[in-house]
Amino acid sequence: MKKLLSVLLVTLLVAGLMTSALAGTADGKKIALVGKSAGNAFFEIAAASFKEAGEGEGATIDVVYPEAATADAQIKVLDNLISQQPDAICISANDFNALQAKLEEAMDAGIKVSSFDSAPNPASRQVFVNQAGTVAVGQALIDAVYDMAGGEGQWAILSATSQATNQNAWIDAMKKLAEDEKYAKLELVEVAYGDDEPQKSTDQTQALLDNYPDLKVICAPTTVGIMAAAKLVQDKPDCKVKITGLGLPSEMLEYTGADDAHSCPYFYLWDMQLLGKLSAYATIALINGDITGAEGESFTVEGLGEFSITAADDGGTEIVQGLPLQFNADNIEEMAKLY
Amino acid sequence: MAGKSGRSINNVPESPIKKLIFGWEGILILVFIGVNIFCKWFSEYYNMFNLLRQMPVYLAEVFLMLVMAFILVMGEIDISVGATVCLAATMACIASNAGIPFPLVILITLLVGTCCGLINAVILTNFSELPPMIVTLSTQIIFRGIAEIVLGSGGSISVANTAGFKAISRKIGSVPLILFLVIILAVFAAIVLGRSTFGRKVYAIGTNRLAARYSGVAVQKIRFIIYTLMGTAAGLCALFMVASSYGANTTTGTGFEMDAIAMAVFGGISSTGGKGNMIGGIISAFIIVCLRIGLGQRNVNGQVILLIIGVLLIAAVALPNILGSLKKAVKK
Repeated sequence: MKKLLSVLLVTLLVAGLMTSALAGTADGKKIALVGKSAGNAFFEIAAASFKEAGEGEGATIDVVYPEAATADAQIKVLDNLISQQPDAICISANDFNALQAKLEEAMDAGIKVSSFDSAPNPASRQVFVNQAGTVAVGQALIDAVYDMAGGEGQWAILSATSQATNQNAWIDAMKKLAEDEKYAKLELVEVAYGDDEPQKSTDQTQALLDNYPDLKVICAPTTVGIMAAAKLVQDKPDCKVKITGLGLPSEMLEYTGADDAHSCPYFYLWDMQLLGKLSAYATIALINGDITGAEGESFTVEGLGEFSITAADDGGTEIVQGLPLQFNADNIEEMAKLY
Repeated sequence: MAGKSGRSINNVPESPIKKLIFGWEGILILVFIGVNIFCKWFSEYYNMFNLLRQMPVYLAEVFLMLVMAFILVMGEIDISVGATVCLAATMACIASNAGIPFPLVILITLLVGTCCGLINAVILTNFSELPPMIVTLSTQIIFRGIAEIVLGSGGSISVANTAGFKAISRKIGSVPLILFLVIILAVFAAIVLGRSTFGRKVYAIGTNRLAARYSGVAVQKIRFIIYTLMGTAAGLCALFMVASSYGANTTTGTGFEMDAIAMAVFGGISSTGGKGNMIGGIISAFIIVCLRIGLGQRNVNGQVILLIIGVLLIAAVALPNILGSLKKAVKK
């Protein structure tokens, strides 16, 4: 009798576990996540959180990397995946146009296609999850400048090269936002170009300091630039200029802090963990038919809120993740371990 | 002499049937069957339909192997073909985007490839003392350099009108067009290398170039033809590469020369010249293709697949030597 009871209890327990495990919105679904190449720490953070979120909903997630960081190698991976017939493929594309034939073949075979990090062209995808909209980055940066300058004074931009598309988009966004009355007392004195070389970025920072003694803030929307500027300024105890921009926590650890001993109070970068999580939920929403990738649709992610699908600059549709993540004295040590 | 099959194990009787069974080709056929049994067991998706669907991307490289085999049999090498593929693919896209009718686009692509081959051929035959490895290394850099300049800062180009390229990547039934083309050209190449006077002269050059020359073989003429054709094959490969991605970029064709050489060497074609035959090369090409598809279908890491193929290659090259020394040890 005791034995029977224990068997019964165990059965109940197992059944209970199974039903709780079956509570996800993507039970038994198979999703393949395709990276650009193996060994990209930045991407792997997003992939890990994609996997965690997807598996949390009961889906099986395979993270697949091509043998080389080329479109041709990704085509081979996609061929393999089409054979496996997963419910969805989420890809970070190595080339904008080259994957179109294969991704169309996948969609024709009934596989949903989403993308994040780096988009394939609009015909190749149903939806793209954009880490941070251009305007959102511009807004965060101009507000940081406003805050650090105390609402007025001179500031400068240290960029990468003058032709870099993403850099120019952010700079233009900042300039446009700065026309607002709120920022009227801020004076942008120069946009310098450090070409993403540490030495040249340092030289350009020095030139900015020499030419504009009243300079209050340098904003560098490039990881190389922000590190070079932060190092140079921190090495000058008398220099009160503050640095902000887009940077990597691991590289900025030494220079980030709220006191005068640190040159950078805070800076920004996309939240790769959030990107992975949101992409997983967007992909599951595609599988379940909650969204089709058309403009104007929206879906809700528990704990993150509602996201709507908007028109992307490339003519396709995208889901904008939102504001970039702020790295400051409170979180930098922990985040530096990640990226 | 060990006969045409470079890997034939010593003292195998020369009866043709026995030679096929015990020679390197026999082993390759067994490996081919073994690989397919393994893949079928390893991957639940490994079936004829998926195999035929996935094959085209890999088959484009087999065109290169067909001519590379001739070059290797001569005891020489051409490492510029990957770059030639890149340049020809770039030109194919440009030609297509310029509104040129598709049959002419095909012609232009083949012509660009042929011209690249011709450049190698002219240099190598006029300065016959230059090592082919160094000459084709230089042209590799030059061809890819030109492609990169043409492609500009974006580094990639895509075709606007894909109709023509869609047509060449279509299937007849469930068999892709490219497979028919590969088989036809492979049979042709096998006959030329194995059964024609031209082929025998190629073996003669590879065995002893000087002796061949003194016995009246027009060594430079044959080298000229083969290096030029190598370019044409790269043009053909480029055409199908564009068909798979509707475009070209600076990485198109990277490493293709090594893949082609690997297929040939695994097939028993010795890189020191004079040995091996086309049948071995073709079987080994299909072994590699099947293995890559089978392993890939279960998401085996791309680098691991390359590693397995690398180990197989080393084994293939070392096996005849190991068997030879084993035999000697047994005799003692």
